[in-house]
Amino acid sequence: MEYFITDGVSNFGPFTLDQLREKNITPATKIWYSGLSGWTPAGEIPELAALLSSTPPPISPPPPQFSYPGINYAQTKPPKTWLVESILVTLFCCLPFGIAGIIYASRVESKFYSGDHQGALLASEDAGRWTKIGFWVGLVSVLIWVVFVIVTALNGGNFENFTPNF
Amino acid sequence: MRTLPQIFKPPLLLLLLLVLAVIYFALDPAGFSFFPKCPFYWLTGYKCPGCGSQRAVHDLLHLNFRGAFHENPLLVISIPYILGGFAFDYTNLSQRIPRVRKTLYGKTAIILVVIIVIAYWILRNI
Repeated sequence: MEYFITDGVSNFGPFTLDQLREKNITPATKIWYSGLSGWTPAGEIPELAALLSSTPPPISPPPPQFSYPGINYAQTKPPKTWLVESILVTLFCCLPFGIAGIIYASRVESKFYSGDHQGALLASEDAGRWTKIGFWVGLVSVLIWVVFVIVTALNGGNFENFTPNF
Repeated sequence: MRTLPQIFKPPLLLLLLLVLAVIYFALDPAGFSFFPKCPFYWLTGYKCPGCGSQRAVHDLLHLNFRGAFHENPLLVISIPYILGGFAFDYTNLSQRIPRVRKTLYGKTAIILVVIIVIAYWILRNI
């Protein structure tokens, strides 16, 4: 199959699918090939879907760091990383959630200092989410355990045969 | 109250923390089987990085740092780091000395924390 593309003024081609891949087409790029009635946006052509998904999204320039008079504190400090809370969750209840929180904390830092403030905010939300999940899973597990202990004790059981406390 | 961590703002959580402190001060988790168990230790027989934290807290509340260190050294070592982290998060310290924050709690530090936790996990089981 041979594809033609147009920028609205001139048309280019013919291209093979592999050549088309190198043209960095977007879903809005108009495409024509033999069999189509007219120029069609690439986003509406199913067989080009794979091509489009491998096209990186447009890069938004990082916001200017010091464009305001004085120091803008909001931009000198990354959003909340939840690092400390994640460490507490790791040490006191739920290791997997705590570690996940710590990993996202590092993403908050790296995204913030590479200029991706939006990505840093999203990573911060993820870090907070994992930390809170860990906290609540821990709390609910302890409550279930307490209920289990009370019920067993009421039935005359004892816990001395259970695993040692860790 | 602006400088207090968000998580401690609800009075219910503060109350919960106080009740837990009283329980862990009054009772030694090593002597009572109704304290929660570590599911990882129960399943595998290996200690997780958090194992011993309950007994360590009991020891710490009695100012027995040596005992706490024996139960969970990582917990005791973490305390100054955790307090420092809260200080940077909830005061204007991070605006006054942003470089110190980045050194102690930045990306490199976080990766180091992960490595320490995992190394500790392995080493305490050998």
